[in-house]
Amino acid sequence: MKREMSYSNGAFAAAAIALGIASGALGWLGESRELRLDPPVASDLDGFRLMPNGISGTPPESYFALGKPYETDAYNLSQGKRLYAWFGCSACHGDGRGGAGPSFLDGWWLYGPEIVSIVASVRDGRPHGMPAFRDRMTTEQIWQLAGYVQTIGAYKPKVAAPSRNDDKQTRPAENRGPAKILFDQGPAGVHPDQGPSP
Amino acid sequence: MIRSKDDGLRDTALSDKELNRALASTWSAQPGLWGALSTVDHKVIGRRYIATAFVFLALGGVLSLLMRLQLSQPEARFIGPDRYNQIFTMHGSNMMFLFAVPVMQAMAVYLVPLMVGTRNIAFPRLNAFSYWIYVAGGLLLWTAFIVDTGPDVGWFAYVPLSGPQYGVGKRADIWAQMITFTEVSALAIAVEIVVTVFKQRGPGMSLDRIPLFVWSMLVTSFLIILAMPAIMIASTSLILDRLVGTHFFNPAEGGDVLLWQHLFWFFGHPEVYIIFLPAVGMVSTIVATFTRRPVFGYLAMVMALVATGVLAFGLWVHHMFVAGLPRLGESFFTASSMAIAVPAGLQIFCWLATIWAGKPIFKTPFLFVIGFIVIFVIGGLTGVMVASVPFDTQVHDTYFVVAHFHYVLVGGAVFPLLGAIYYWFPKLTGKMMSETLGRWVFGLIFVGFNLTFFPMHILGLQGMPRRIYTYQPEMPWAGLNMFISLSAIVLAAGFLLFFVDAIRSARSGAVASANPWGASTLEWATASPPQPYNFARPPVVGSREPLWAEATALPVAAGLRVDRRELLITGVVEGIPEARESSVGNSIWPLWAALATTLTLVWSIFSPWAVVWGSIPVAVSLIGWFWPKGVLEDES
Repeated sequence: MKREMSYSNGAFAAAAIALGIASGALGWLGESRELRLDPPVASDLDGFRLMPNGISGTPPESYFALGKPYETDAYNLSQGKRLYAWFGCSACHGDGRGGAGPSFLDGWWLYGPEIVSIVASVRDGRPHGMPAFRDRMTTEQIWQLAGYVQTIGAYKPKVAAPSRNDDKQTRPAENRGPAKILFDQGPAGVHPDQGPSP
Repeated sequence: MIRSKDDGLRDTALSDKELNRALASTWSAQPGLWGALSTVDHKVIGRRYIATAFVFLALGGVLSLLMRLQLSQPEARFIGPDRYNQIFTMHGSNMMFLFAVPVMQAMAVYLVPLMVGTRNIAFPRLNAFSYWIYVAGGLLLWTAFIVDTGPDVGWFAYVPLSGPQYGVGKRADIWAQMITFTEVSALAIAVEIVVTVFKQRGPGMSLDRIPLFVWSMLVTSFLIILAMPAIMIASTSLILDRLVGTHFFNPAEGGDVLLWQHLFWFFGHPEVYIIFLPAVGMVSTIVATFTRRPVFGYLAMVMALVATGVLAFGLWVHHMFVAGLPRLGESFFTASSMAIAVPAGLQIFCWLATIWAGKPIFKTPFLFVIGFIVIFVIGGLTGVMVASVPFDTQVHDTYFVVAHFHYVLVGGAVFPLLGAIYYWFPKLTGKMMSETLGRWVFGLIFVGFNLTFFPMHILGLQGMPRRIYTYQPEMPWAGLNMFISLSAIVLAAGFLLFFVDAIRSARSGAVASANPWGASTLEWATASPPQPYNFARPPVVGSREPLWAEATALPVAAGLRVDRRELLITGVVEGIPEARESSVGNSIWPLWAALATTLTLVWSIFSPWAVVWGSIPVAVSLIGWFWPKGVLEDES
């Protein structure tokens, strides 16, 4: 009987260790889903600061306190992907490789790859045809979409990046790193086909 | 051919006392933690398996109580929709993959070698491996749930909901990989059982003398071997779709969404019988013991088991009646679904005839059998109802279906299982469970179960859908839901009392004799609990009920070596001894192999390269496992 007890103690210890390791591995994924952003947080997120030239800046402190959810959280990224389709982004940007609007996959970010730049582009629009979506999307949706746009252009696929859609495949899915193949470092200096600089 | 000198110590040369001492030193596990981790004794592993499965039963039960709490009133705010989705998915996956199938196989791991009169299960190291893999799969699923990454796509994980577009994050991958773990462990045991039953039966145990429980486990093992590959292919395709971007389930690229449903239910329906057939064996055993007579219609029972096993593969489409399949197909599967009532009915009538002709003794295990017959028949009746397409179309995805399958699964498997635990507890632990508490346990569970699940039929007919996390006050469901939630407490109290009884009895129950129920099968011919070598001398079987036929002394075979682990290999049909075969010793390598496999499988959720790099530790552990010992295999 005594031996039985030591077996079970050992089993419990092993289970606890395994559980700890597994929690560590999964914990950082942070998949806890918040289906509706708190309005005060949303209004705080709206108050990010941009550099005077409209390129880059800093998100509010609350964004870091939340753990940069719009860049690392699978649910938000996948919502962003859905919004990309719903709001017709592909009409100009195609599947991310551009069209009438610039490509997201060629490694060139006209206004910088920071999330606030992308949020500002979506919310306020940019010269030469990028419309403002501030009256059509909520703050949360704008951040989700911006996170997604940043993700498809990442040089290295994120673990949380969305997978393929049930559509015709035109390029590798976001979690396969589509920009890895299409990223063209190009000649140093301004990309010629990105339109005039701001 | 190398002929080796066989000069080992034989049991013929030893007195009983010397024999027991020699066998104990040959067959025992090492003491301490290392011994616990490296043992290959089917009894130790079987007990562990059963205990672990019951832990998962308790956890799944807690989940169901959480759901009942949330549904007890309209617009309740205890659990949010996202967590609720995880909870009902976890409840189903946990109960099916981590409790029901493993616990039935675990009972077989413990009992089948004893019932056929051999000393260990075939492939004992694979058996140890199977347990570790099973635990790893369970830990993966539950850890994910604890950190809010539990699967949320239903236990059937239909695409496209679970597919790459809608199954967001790693949740569905964790479900699919948990499937891989449990299927590997289930397949391992299935193979062991088939080989044990075919080649390791005691001398004289011809096919028509195999105990019904062993028959049921044999058929179940074949079902597992034939059904599980379907779900492994399905879950692997799902992971590939999600991670690598293949298009198995993408219609736009020539894939097929319906393919998932076919693959899943081609496994999923036999799964029901994988759970139910062992219960048939348990019921047959308990009925025979407590009516003091052999089960009526042995041949018919065996034929019904086999027929159920065959028919099980021709029914799966009745889970897909609203998926828009051709009419002819639906009609065919309606007919085949109703045909399953023939073997099931045959079994019920055989048990009734046995009870009718015998002198039933109403001990706790037998009470559970009575409960089983009542509840399973009700579940069978609603089963015939939902087998009809027009009716099914009305009640599909409603609580009527929830009520139906809980009647079939809990009535058809959990009741016999609880009876089996009360029945075999003395053999498992050497202690008796309490008869008084047992009656309370049965009463609470029987009443609690019916009060909980019968009203769900009515809720379903009133249109309450499954898998909803709340409902509006305008719906006429609030009263019944509150009633169900309160009844669930009665049911839970019954299970709590069962666990209390089991733990208390294991510590301080009355000491059990070798054969406390006066049963007829071979597991009762040895001590309770059995020594590591099961039988000092392998019993020779001369009848279907050996312990009743040979009331005073069982004939035994002699001539086995005692200085190595040796057991008898017999012919498939007649059970004629063919060879003395060595059985492997303890080894830690199954644990390392399981850890390496776990590493690979979990890693492969995140990167397909895990399969490449993870194969290295797996290969290393397998090389260690099969490392030659420098002794001829026949001599090892």
